[in-house]
Amino acid sequence: MIQKKICMLGSFSVGKTSLVRRFVTSLFDEKYHTTIGVKVDKKIVKANGQDVTLVLWDIHGEDVYQKMRMSYLRGMSGYLLVADGTRRQTLDDALSLNERVVQEFGRIPALLLLNKYDLTDQWEIDSSQGAKLAAAGWNVFNTSAKTGDAVEGAFLQLAQATLDK
Amino acid sequence: MAEQAQRRAPMAQAQEKSLDNNHAYEELRHLIVAPETEGLAAVEERLDNLEKRTEDVSEVVAEAIHMRRATGDQALADALAPTIQETLRESVRRDPHVLADALFPVMGPAIRKSITETLRSMLQSFNEALDNSFSARGIQWRIEAMRTGRPFAEIVMMHSLMYRVEQVFLIHRETGLVLNHLVAPTVATQDPDMIAGMLSAIQQFVRDSFHSRSDETLGSLNVGELQVWIEESPNAVLAAVIRGHAPADFRQAMNETLEDIQRHYSSALANFKGDAGPFRGADERLSKLLETRYRQAPAEKKKPRTLMIVGGVAAALLLGWLAYSTYLLIEWSRFLSQLKKQPGIVVVSYTKDGRTFHIQGFRDPLAADPKLLVSQAGLDPEKADLQLAPYYSLDDAMIAERAEKLLHPPPTVKLAANHGELIAEGSASQQWITKLEEHAPWIAGVTKVDDSHLLNSNLQQLYTLKTSLESIVLLFPIGRAELEVGQDAKLAEAQNRIRELQAQSEGFHQTATIDLVGHSDTTGIEGTNLVLSQQRAEQIRRFLMKGGVKRDGLRPSGVGTTQPLRDETTEEGRQLNRSVTFKVSFAPVGNASASTSNASAASPGN
Repeated sequence: MIQKKICMLGSFSVGKTSLVRRFVTSLFDEKYHTTIGVKVDKKIVKANGQDVTLVLWDIHGEDVYQKMRMSYLRGMSGYLLVADGTRRQTLDDALSLNERVVQEFGRIPALLLLNKYDLTDQWEIDSSQGAKLAAAGWNVFNTSAKTGDAVEGAFLQLAQATLDK
Repeated sequence: MAEQAQRRAPMAQAQEKSLDNNHAYEELRHLIVAPETEGLAAVEERLDNLEKRTEDVSEVVAEAIHMRRATGDQALADALAPTIQETLRESVRRDPHVLADALFPVMGPAIRKSITETLRSMLQSFNEALDNSFSARGIQWRIEAMRTGRPFAEIVMMHSLMYRVEQVFLIHRETGLVLNHLVAPTVATQDPDMIAGMLSAIQQFVRDSFHSRSDETLGSLNVGELQVWIEESPNAVLAAVIRGHAPADFRQAMNETLEDIQRHYSSALANFKGDAGPFRGADERLSKLLETRYRQAPAEKKKPRTLMIVGGVAAALLLGWLAYSTYLLIEWSRFLSQLKKQPGIVVVSYTKDGRTFHIQGFRDPLAADPKLLVSQAGLDPEKADLQLAPYYSLDDAMIAERAEKLLHPPPTVKLAANHGELIAEGSASQQWITKLEEHAPWIAGVTKVDDSHLLNSNLQQLYTLKTSLESIVLLFPIGRAELEVGQDAKLAEAQNRIRELQAQSEGFHQTATIDLVGHSDTTGIEGTNLVLSQQRAEQIRRFLMKGGVKRDGLRPSGVGTTQPLRDETTEEGRQLNRSVTFKVSFAPVGNASASTSNASAASPGN
């Protein structure tokens, strides 16, 4: 069986852990748990007609207090760059984080998830911004860990991308 | 010749024609393939040109090696190895510093790691030995070491293998993905993929947090009874989940396994893209690590037997000790009752203190030596503490013993005591008898002295003379009062004895009375016989007095046939009855009348 190491990257409180939880266990918890260090989870998906084990490294969100350790990313096959659609700043942070990742590891399969899409009334990212990201080569997903919208699809697509690479 | 010329002409013509044709062909060819030809020429020139060719190869050599290596083929390494070895050798020969400088950053950590590893194994063994030295198990192992004659450390190591390697993870170092995972039977596990991922994350966390270099890694984790031992190679991580305490050499086994895997799967590890399939083959190597725990199983079975032997020996020792103690107690009490019976020894009390017996009491100085009695009873005199105060015993045996010591009796005297009365028997000189009578009453314990059975040895001589005289029989013929022929010697002997008796008895203040008794046989009438017997006695007195015997004390008498010496069935018996015999009696001086009256009593029958 093929195994792939997938990392969840993004600022703190954008919903990385919730996305993993939704994807792996189909559950959502309103309470916020900050991740310290790394939490490893896994899910077996079908891609290209074969089983692929996704080993999900849910890495603590980056903030002013703790920088993300690049060493956690070593050997990853792909990553999900997560931003909070209701906080514009998290998108900028995600993109700058992405630059550092690319610098260190080169281009590897990645998706951009704009999470918390259930809170559209508070959405801070307009469609022009979305177009700009698409133009920059980003495959953008509007996801909601709470409702489960687009979550599975995003993971499946990333799994696919790691196999195609 | 002309013909030849003629022939040549058409040939020349033809040649010319063909030359034209060739030219055209050449031109045509030039027109058609000129670019290719030039290209070919250029290629040819390039192939011939060594410099150009080198330049070409140099452009692709790196990619070529890279491609070849990617196929996982060993041939490239095989081909390069001798050259590289030669190069290294040559480099060292020319200037060792170059290689030394290059290796320096590698050798330092490598040596350090090796030393650390050795020290760690040593320390762990030492710690285990210390831990085990002071426990009940440790004592048991010490006994086992003594019993088997093997070093204690070896016994400890053997028993320290009480651990169980529950899981073995082979993890791809870079991605943290599981390459292989083995679980011991009956062990419940979490998802290995997640565990492996977390282990890698922890590893990286530790490395980052302590700013250690990539060759310095977390060696083990302890979680309660579980330990996770981690070993790393350039591309792989080997983690073993161990319950209990594994000996240090298990890490050595892990290291060897990992090195083996790293060597065997080097290209698969380097090109790992998430497919763990190729690493299924490592099962056999990894399962050896799980099997390690079975090695100590037989040793564990041995333990109850060891315990039984130790227990048995202890029980036997205890039983033996108990039996010996009981035996000693019995022996001592037997000895005590014997001691109590000993004359001159009184036991007041005794106590036992450990293995020593304390006996308190009294002892007559003349009593038996108690130490000697202890040895005679088969006991150790060193273990006997005898506190016996001296005293005078009134025991009869002791009184006799004491009298013996003080009176020094001659060997002919036997002394005994009976309720305080000292009894002397046998014979002794007059001096000793006097001494006895004087001193004996002063001896401690003597209340009375009885020497009535003690003969004066001097007096005894008189009795010897008396007996000797009384055995003499002087014979007479039938009907006559003159001695038979041949009786002179006997008469002379009788004479001497009587003289001696008379002389000696005076010394003892005794008067010896000698009856001369005449006898007759039954032939003839009784009246005649009585007279005849009197005449025979008178006759002998006359002879004796003639021979110098004093008349005093000689008392002739005749008894006739009334006191025959023999019955008269034979002539010999009758002859013996025709005789005179002697009878001696003593009386203290001045008391002779009794004897005289006694003698006169026989007289009326004359």
